[in-house]
Amino acid sequence: MADKLERYNRQILLPFIGEEGQKGIAASTAVVAGCGALGTVIANVLARAGVGKLRIIDRDFIEKSNLQRQVLFDEKDCAENLPKAAAAERKCRQINSEIEIEGIVTDINPANVEELIKGATVVVDGADNFETRFVLNDACVKHKIPWVYGAAVGSLGLTMTIIPEVTPCIRCIFETAPPPGMTPTCDTAGVLASVTGLIGNFEAAEALKICAGRTAEINKRLFQIDLWNGELHRFKIEKAREVADCPCCKRRNFEFLEGQGASTTTGLCGRNAVQINPKTGAKLDLAAMAKQLQGTSDITNLSVNKFLLKFNAPGGDEPKEGLEITVFPDARAIIKGTKKVAVARTAYAKYVGA
Amino acid sequence: MIYFDNAATSFPKPPEVFAAMTQFMAEAGGNPGRSGHRLATGAEAMIDNTRNAVSKFFGIGDPKRCIFTLNCTDALNMAIKGVLRTGDHAISSVLEHNSVNRPLQKAADDGEITLDRVGLDESGAWRVADVLAKVTPKTKLVAITHCANVLGVVCPVAELGQALRAKHPHVRLLVDAAQSAGVVPIDAEAMGIDFLAFPGHKGLFAPTGTGALLIGSRVKEDELRAWREGGTGGDSSSPHQPFELPYYLEGGTPNTMGIAGLLAGVTFLKKEGPNKVLAHERALQQRLIESLGADSRFTLYGTKDPPKKGGALSITIKDRDTAETASILDQAFEICVRPGLHCAPYTHKALGTFPTGTLRLSPGYFNTLDEADAVVAALQEIAS
Repeated sequence: MADKLERYNRQILLPFIGEEGQKGIAASTAVVAGCGALGTVIANVLARAGVGKLRIIDRDFIEKSNLQRQVLFDEKDCAENLPKAAAAERKCRQINSEIEIEGIVTDINPANVEELIKGATVVVDGADNFETRFVLNDACVKHKIPWVYGAAVGSLGLTMTIIPEVTPCIRCIFETAPPPGMTPTCDTAGVLASVTGLIGNFEAAEALKICAGRTAEINKRLFQIDLWNGELHRFKIEKAREVADCPCCKRRNFEFLEGQGASTTTGLCGRNAVQINPKTGAKLDLAAMAKQLQGTSDITNLSVNKFLLKFNAPGGDEPKEGLEITVFPDARAIIKGTKKVAVARTAYAKYVGA
Repeated sequence: MIYFDNAATSFPKPPEVFAAMTQFMAEAGGNPGRSGHRLATGAEAMIDNTRNAVSKFFGIGDPKRCIFTLNCTDALNMAIKGVLRTGDHAISSVLEHNSVNRPLQKAADDGEITLDRVGLDESGAWRVADVLAKVTPKTKLVAITHCANVLGVVCPVAELGQALRAKHPHVRLLVDAAQSAGVVPIDAEAMGIDFLAFPGHKGLFAPTGTGALLIGSRVKEDELRAWREGGTGGDSSSPHQPFELPYYLEGGTPNTMGIAGLLAGVTFLKKEGPNKVLAHERALQQRLIESLGADSRFTLYGTKDPPKKGGALSITIKDRDTAETASILDQAFEICVRPGLHCAPYTHKALGTFPTGTLRLSPGYFNTLDEADAVVAALQEIAS
């Protein structure tokens, strides 16, 4: 036993972990929901810390522009065009062969989320869009599984920890997801690797507290940091649950899990294309969006008129042909060049934001 | 909002239809034929009334030969899978919807039947002579459309039916009337139709989940295999499906509420007058064809002669994608149309519009000429 614990010696030395805490960590299952900039940092820490079972979920494939911040991936993974979940599983096994690691290549959605988080001690957010987070929030609150929210764009990062029915959930703070196209994404506005590293590490520490049986010591505030400006805010949200008549954790009305809050997709008849239909009644400013997208290096043939915004982007079922993305004023989009819903949703989350 | 997608399903439905459905649900929702109490017999009576109305409307003498189905696809499968046996030959056309294409193709791919598909003429219809030329002594079934859902051209069913009866009485004629039922007059016996399949939710103004297979008088029960078996309410002691129409083919509790809506839809159609409905739909078609046909940016497919048209007009626009155009029509103009292949891939291969398809404009009885003009104006703005 002593030999087995030796690799964890430096964290066992910590008074708030100790051997007892390490046993808890080893007996835990952590789900890393999304394995990009945040998820790779989280999976790296949790694998090294000896979390007994690590389930890493992601729908996307590795691209060159990921390497600036997604710490588990290297040039070789990129050249192999591996799914992120598979590459992360491989790398985490090399880091720690004594734990169970499962990489799952899938889109997290209302239909599969409950199965994906089954048996989890904690779910850690590595998602790249709001819709997935609201689906995760519903599922975790419903099954009373603690989860750690985290998000980063530009040099700004946010995180909070949710213990269902004890601390406020994500919908106590943000009643609903912002409409698509309204928020910058890492692919349109850029992101600093330091901030994804910082938020990912913060989230991983929160997850370890929960796994080690130290749930009482979690971060009880909404933590926001702007690394470039050096501004830190810790919003007091302890009372939010009492104040808000939260549809999710108070009324147990799981709208996103039941698909009511989620977008839908339609395969277009005879076409190598998927249409994404957002749920919101958004009205996009296509001209402003075009301006934002102009700085995105992997986008070509950007055109906009009063009816639609259109551009080409890399990826798709035939990588040589790429994707053609057409966005309409109500935020619906046609993603041409793929029949796969997950590929279309990834492209939507990247360039439109969801 | 302008709804020009009536070839997919008619909208709106007449208020009489949902009133009848609500009333049935609220006051008379028993299980037909399953008991002797008032609600069960009431439901049975409603269903019998609908059988009478529907079979009379389409020229079938015996209402027992009206089989209620889930939709037109269900009716077509019932006939195709019920009639064809190993070694049979079947004839179809490139105009067909996948509800005809796929059951036939599967049987052909499995080596059970041989299959020929005839092409289309310059107007967008199949030719009687082409079908007759394919008939062999092994031909059991001709499964063919009355009015194709992409092109909306009325095909010469009566001429085919009469020719088959005169020259090849061993061949059965199954007609897919998905687009024509309720729009174009159909007298099944007079037209030589052996099986008439149609949905309730298009030209008959009924809700989705309704349809029927009408079986002509010369077809004997033993020519068909029941492909769905189960309870019928009567003769439960027998281990087998009763060999009596309509029950032979109608295992399971029917969609009573939908059938109540179907009765109201057929009643509405008879009250308005089928000729008036057809004349109005053709006037709308004429307006679209005249306006769009005069503009070189639009390509119109199929005949430009409104008297030969059913409900749909397919077009493409120069340098414009059909799926995008449909989204723009919906978003910027609140006009609902359908882009794509319309489940008829062989038609688009024949037209040269595969795989992007066409934009299908399908006005219905409740549309106006002003709405047709608004659709044309929107299309012109998008094309420019």
